[in-house]
Amino acid sequence: MTISTESMDGEITRVLLDGRLDIQGAATIDLRMNVLAGSCKFLLVDLCNVSFLGSMGLRSLVLPAQAVHRRGGKVALFGPPPMVEEVLKASNIDKVIPIFHDLDSAVASLC
Amino acid sequence: MHDAQDRLELDSRLTELSRVQPWIEALANQNGFSEDALFAMQLCIEEALANVILHGYRGEPGHPIVIEASVSAGSLWFVMDDQAGPFSPLEPLPNNWTEPATLESIEPGGHGIRLLARFAGSLTYERLSDSNRLTIGFPLPCKDASS
Repeated sequence: MTISTESMDGEITRVLLDGRLDIQGAATIDLRMNVLAGSCKFLLVDLCNVSFLGSMGLRSLVLPAQAVHRRGGKVALFGPPPMVEEVLKASNIDKVIPIFHDLDSAVASLC
Repeated sequence: MHDAQDRLELDSRLTELSRVQPWIEALANQNGFSEDALFAMQLCIEEALANVILHGYRGEPGHPIVIEASVSAGSLWFVMDDQAGPFSPLEPLPNNWTEPATLESIEPGGHGIRLLARFAGSLTYERLSDSNRLTIGFPLPCKDASS
């Protein structure tokens, strides 16, 4: 699992995740995600290249999203592959963190 | 199918999960499962193992977990045995689970059992004399009648 970021217009930070967000993958990104959650106002988490998501990976998405929200910011999820989206929906994460497959819509939701 | 390839003996450490993924992938490929089915298998086994390690054995290494795989009655079965105290992963499943109203109200963790129940083809728990047994089944893919 790798994590990288890029700055977008409107104070949006795009977080690009790549690989398996399993227990090991979650441990790899947790620290970086927590730092981002403490410093960024709008997070666009790009899941296009996430090939697997388990419950520990969910935790790595929800905890930073809660931290950003508490600081008055917003988080959106972008482009999860179908099975990854199934996991998000089965856990009801989609009810509290919006999922988009269109980048413009994802960006608009954060502005 | 009863050879060494169909049995995996693990220690109660999360790092052991790295041995499980390729084992499941080989079994899935042998039996013609799709990528989505492989995803479901890996998800279920990872969640079940994490449950045993973190809750059954309370995160203590040095305890055995054995997974045996077999094909029968149109399904691929994973039978997971551990020697932790009685612990059914199915019991905590809440029947009255409500949708989270806000981001703050959702639990960041604790989704593993729900995912296991959602993605497994079938799921059975038995308490044996001194061990827990979880059996997870996945229906074999239908063979194309024209081939």
